[in-house]
Amino acid sequence: MRRREYWILILPSIFVMFGLLLIPIYRTIEWSLKDVNYGEAGTFVGLDNYVRALTDPRFGSSVLFTVGLTLSVMVVVIVLGYILAVLVNNLGKMRPLVLGIILISYVIPNVVGATMFSWLFDGNFGGVANVVIGWFTDHDVLWFTETWPNRIMVGLNIVWAMLPFSMLILLAGLQGVPREIIEAAKIDGAGTMGRHLHIILPSIRGMVGFVAIITIMDVLRVFDNLIPLAPNAVLNGNETIALYTYNMAFQDGGQELGLGSVINVLTILIMLVMLIPFIRNTMKEAKSA
Amino acid sequence: MIRRPSKKAALAVGIGAALLLSGCGAGSRTQDKNAAEVPCEFEAPGSATTVNVLAYNSSAIDPFTNTLVANCTTDEVDVVHEPVDFAGQVQRTTTTLAGAEGTYDILETYGYIIPENAESEKILPLNDLIDKYGDTYGLDELSPSMVEAMSYNGDVYAVPMQAQMYIMAYRKDIFDELGLEPPTTFDELRDVAQKIQDSGEYQYPLALPLLASSDIATAYDSALGSLGVDLVDHEAGKPNFDQPEAIQAFEELKSLAPYMDPQVTTFDQPKVQQQMYNGDAAISIMFSGRMNDLVQESNSPNFDKIAFAAPPAVVEGGKQYSTLSVDGWSIPANTSLDEDMLFNMIGSSVSEKASLAAIPAAYPARQGLVTAENSPYGAAANDAIENAPAAEPFPYTAKVSNAVRPVIAEVFTGALTPEEGTAQMQTIAQKVLDAE
Repeated sequence: MRRREYWILILPSIFVMFGLLLIPIYRTIEWSLKDVNYGEAGTFVGLDNYVRALTDPRFGSSVLFTVGLTLSVMVVVIVLGYILAVLVNNLGKMRPLVLGIILISYVIPNVVGATMFSWLFDGNFGGVANVVIGWFTDHDVLWFTETWPNRIMVGLNIVWAMLPFSMLILLAGLQGVPREIIEAAKIDGAGTMGRHLHIILPSIRGMVGFVAIITIMDVLRVFDNLIPLAPNAVLNGNETIALYTYNMAFQDGGQELGLGSVINVLTILIMLVMLIPFIRNTMKEAKSA
Repeated sequence: MIRRPSKKAALAVGIGAALLLSGCGAGSRTQDKNAAEVPCEFEAPGSATTVNVLAYNSSAIDPFTNTLVANCTTDEVDVVHEPVDFAGQVQRTTTTLAGAEGTYDILETYGYIIPENAESEKILPLNDLIDKYGDTYGLDELSPSMVEAMSYNGDVYAVPMQAQMYIMAYRKDIFDELGLEPPTTFDELRDVAQKIQDSGEYQYPLALPLLASSDIATAYDSALGSLGVDLVDHEAGKPNFDQPEAIQAFEELKSLAPYMDPQVTTFDQPKVQQQMYNGDAAISIMFSGRMNDLVQESNSPNFDKIAFAAPPAVVEGGKQYSTLSVDGWSIPANTSLDEDMLFNMIGSSVSEKASLAAIPAAYPARQGLVTAENSPYGAAANDAIENAPAAEPFPYTAKVSNAVRPVIAEVFTGALTPEEGTAQMQTIAQKVLDAE
């Protein structure tokens, strides 16, 4: 490829990256050092906004909750996604139909899916889950106001929404594992668990890493699911970082763009820290390939 | 070769058309049926013009918005209103008023935020336009108290369209069966709720909108106002949370908790409506704009069992447990369109004919329009509007209320005692006032 053709092909991507990635990141960092309202240039306040965020116990609580939620969901999504992928991989003619049904939760917009999900636990709208629990116990579970039931409900919803993605990627990975290796393992006497743990999983660890990266990035930014599912998020300590950003910066027509920017910068840093092991692994694999 | 449309294509077109049709009026619960046919005359701008209207969708606001859009759109002028909820309107109001140019040309606004936007000159005073067009649209028949609620420092900043105040809705069949009368004080409310609970028909007979992230602050303000105390001592410039009534308001609200769903801090007004629709609650108190929905057959099997009364006072002889909120149309200072044209649009949407068409969904701002005959909750609303605590029209009122809201929620749920909570609220509110 000639140098000119190369630049013609790559320039649109550079413009898009510059406009949609670098400028917003630059502006976010700039605003994090300013007291700024809509339509104003803002005034430089140094690290005041950082001090404000980092000394707010609500921010610490939201970071802990979000990181905990992310790690829990990631583990569940990978484990269940793998099991589902194995089951679907063994299906015959029914595979496209089952795949189509499983993918429904992934294509529904988060806020719509979360609202419908909340109805399962809300007596006002039937509360099917409450009815089922009522068969076994007289105890009313307060899904929306008690901390742990609410956490479980939020986690279940995110797993429900993300599981199809995980299953799909891992299914693609499974289909790429050479059958000869699995047959050879069988001949060598490897049992079912052994084949999965020592043959198949190592073969698709790149895919597992990819699912982990995407899950971490998605769950760290969870916001819209909480609107219907956690109306008492602030009270019961189930405020995610993104919801905290909204509540502090924009709720009631607020204009705390500086504080909101600080939280975004800190979120990016948290995201990077959590992604480092997976990115390092991916880079190692790329080098060895 | 000419291809005949396939069945699949026809099906796709059919589905698309159905989606488009269902999308028309999306967000508008009343759609065009409450849009009155009224004249909307203004000097043509001379070129294609778009007028963007910002107004949240609710049963009480939609009739006025629909009237404005339906009658003021011409070949040359396109009046555009996108569906939005209240939180969205609050956010968009802030952003559109922030810069030298805004997105919207007509804003739905309310008494709570007018002082703040008027003081910062983000919305226009309308006195001259009211003088000029008052006779055309009969604006002298607007309720003086509602015009006052749209004013700041002697200037009128919005044309009032409708008011909302708390109304009590109750199940008349249950009350009749148990021989109960609508309560007029919190003492009576507790007594009535206890009797309904004891009858075994309802586990939680009372439903109030106490959503921790919004409504609970209005509820506390209403209780405090009913006890005769404002959020702020406006002369002294200090909050009133150090007054004994501040603690009493909490105690009175918390005393209702045994009669409400344990998850009531997640209830916004639609959820309280849902409780009444389902028959899960026998008594509710919420804004009047929500009342007409309760008696719609399409909403609930209990539509014909609902009766209305003014809300009770927290203590005997006090003002009612209520908040008066007046909505109106204002013109942002940063609009580039002709103010006369915009005012004519506003005027036509609040004309007598338009206001009458808005009943019973709304309580229009024109005096004497709402009666017991034309509105199922008309008598209750007329009583309630007379006896609601006075509004606090100051630029800092909304900021104080928003700032103390998380503490109010913590006190209500028992995380803080009323004494601890009011002490924290006093400090927080004082900071807000000092910053002003």
